Amino acid sequence: VRNELTDEALEYGTLVARAVEAAGGDALAAAAEDDPSRRRDLVWPVLSELGAWELEPLTSADEAEAAAALCRAAGRWALPFPVAAHLSRPAEVDAEGAFVVAGARPAAPLDGLGGRWVGVTLDGDVADIRARPADRPARKSAFVVELELEPTGLRAAPAEVALAVALPCWSLLGMLDRAVEMTRGYVIERQQFGQPLSRFQSVQFQLTDAEVERLGVEELAKYSLWSIEAGRADALDDALALRLAAVEAAAVVFRICHQLHGAIGFCDETPLSWLSRSSQPLRRLPTNPAATRAELGSRIEGRGLAGLYTPEEARR
Amino acid sequence: LDYEMGHWVASLRSELRELVAEHVPVDYLGAFTADPADLEIAQAFCRLLAERGLLCMAWPEEFGGRGASGWEQTAVREEMWALHEPRGAQYMGVNWVGPTIMRHGTAEQRRRHLPPIASGEVIWCQGFSEPDSGSDLASLSTGARRDGDEWVISGQKIWTSYATMAQWCFLLARTSREERKQQGLTVFLVPMADPAIEVRPIDCMMGPHHLNEVFFDEVRVDDGAVLGTVGDGWSTVQEVLAFERVGIARYARCERLLQWAPVALGDQWADLPPELAAGWARMLVHCRRSRLLAYRVVATQDSGQVRPGDAAAYRIAVTRLDQESAEVLMDIVGCASLGSDEQRRFARAVEDHHRYSVAATVSSGSIEMQRILLSRTLLAAS
Repeated sequence: VRNELTDEALEYGTLVARAVEAAGGDALAAAAEDDPSRRRDLVWPVLSELGAWELEPLTSADEAEAAAALCRAAGRWALPFPVAAHLSRPAEVDAEGAFVVAGARPAAPLDGLGGRWVGVTLDGDVADIRARPADRPARKSAFVVELELEPTGLRAAPAEVALAVALPCWSLLGMLDRAVEMTRGYVIERQQFGQPLSRFQSVQFQLTDAEVERLGVEELAKYSLWSIEAGRADALDDALALRLAAVEAAAVVFRICHQLHGAIGFCDETPLSWLSRSSQPLRRLPTNPAATRAELGSRIEGRGLAGLYTPEEARR
Repeated sequence: LDYEMGHWVASLRSELRELVAEHVPVDYLGAFTADPADLEIAQAFCRLLAERGLLCMAWPEEFGGRGASGWEQTAVREEMWALHEPRGAQYMGVNWVGPTIMRHGTAEQRRRHLPPIASGEVIWCQGFSEPDSGSDLASLSTGARRDGDEWVISGQKIWTSYATMAQWCFLLARTSREERKQQGLTVFLVPMADPAIEVRPIDCMMGPHHLNEVFFDEVRVDDGAVLGTVGDGWSTVQEVLAFERVGIARYARCERLLQWAPVALGDQWADLPPELAAGWARMLVHCRRSRLLAYRVVATQDSGQVRPGDAAAYRIAVTRLDQESAEVLMDIVGCASLGSDEQRRFARAVEDHHRYSVAATVSSGSIEMQRILLSRTLLAAS
């Protein structure tokens, strides 16, 4: 078992995070919120220098792991360009990127982005997207707009669908990383009743609950990536399993991190405020947590999830 | 990334499953029942494992093992726990009493204790907790005083699993009062057959043998019973706990029962409330999550590192999984009419799992202690 990304992929993620920080860090998200039409231009050149747009995650395990590390680093800074969707575009489709779409009112964070973006259903059908005009400022919509879908007759391969589900979870993981790190730093520094908040056991226990959730997502994210890399037949199940855990974890982590930050966590001077708002599209789209559970439940009914026992082996 | 454990681990799993299929009845729910035959099944199974070199495979070759890798040990932990631990209480001797004696024991202690453990002939119990010393173990007061060439042990232990069937006790006692409560503690290897030891079973929801009180009334032992250095027992016990860092592979039984559920229910599965079916899927994801968190610890240990926070995180996740999966499984059983032999076996296994799960967040270090450990490493990290 090898359950760590390669050193090269980890190093690449670190480079990306540093480059984004040097280019403005959290200020990029703020600038995009002020003017959504700048979303692409704020991010594209920074990552271009690092070869991010040449990555083809499904061509090799190395590229897949580099793409995952890239998405995680993008999440740390709540980058205002959908890096994961761009890396998930199906090979046979000429498009800027692909969002997984589902439900009666499909939506995606496309406000301010030009070019051709496509929607991909969990069954692999590819649709052209026409984004409806934004009805709210980006500050409240997190760039999400409703979509009109036009079937193309094209199909995404199962691994491509799985990747389009899994990579956004890597970005969400990056957000959880940063949220927990910031909260840890805050409770160590912030003093009340003459001592740091971190001395209070109720604070310690909440922080550990957040950390357990974050660690769980990290492990499932790596497993899902391996499942895609290895071309496993149940890669989409594995990606949905990751997504289920990630969206549930995000609810716990952001609730705890906000609570431990107190009022300062709501303020725009605190990156948590930006991360928390920016995480919403990743957590709600293409399916909310309840719909994700139902989707996974119906997909794996009768065969369960791959692991130690098949249903037949489980009965002894 | 690669989550395949390889051919050797796969064949080890097959071998273990075949042995269980052949030697353990399908309705077996563990050694600790009111029926003494269940204990005998476990003892016979241990002897069988020992004969095939599978009982102590993690031990170094010089002590009769074959230095199995962390992944092989993981496979054994998973297979045994998933199938209701047909080794009975042996895991205690095999997993940590033996290794601790290898490390700290005298030549005589090794000669005396290791072969019976390796052959699956002996059961050990652990004399740690006391009525006033649970999570705060170092505050214990069972005392051992010097009298000539002997030590005289007096005091009370509690929650001692398997004390009614054990031949030996790995006992932590206070040999002196020092500035710090962690100082002045000593480990003794005490024969349970001593008439000055009284064991009183405590009736509990997990069933017989799980909880006992053990009274030591002037038990006399010589220096040969002291493990390691007098007064240095706390560091020995910390090592013991490190051997058990990963602990029980609870996720394996949870996963097996969850995977069994749709087969056991058959056509009735379609009648489950959608929310319950979705909850079942969610629990399977949580099984995988816990398994991968365990593998995170194993991989780190395999590379010679120690990250105590990871082990604590795993144990927090897996003990919660145990309880949450038990709730979901009980609800699934409650929704169906289970009339066939297999369905009744499934229902009994779920009921057993539920009763055990209640103790998951308390036994072997409560979930609060795990949180304290994790928060320590989290807040100390640079």
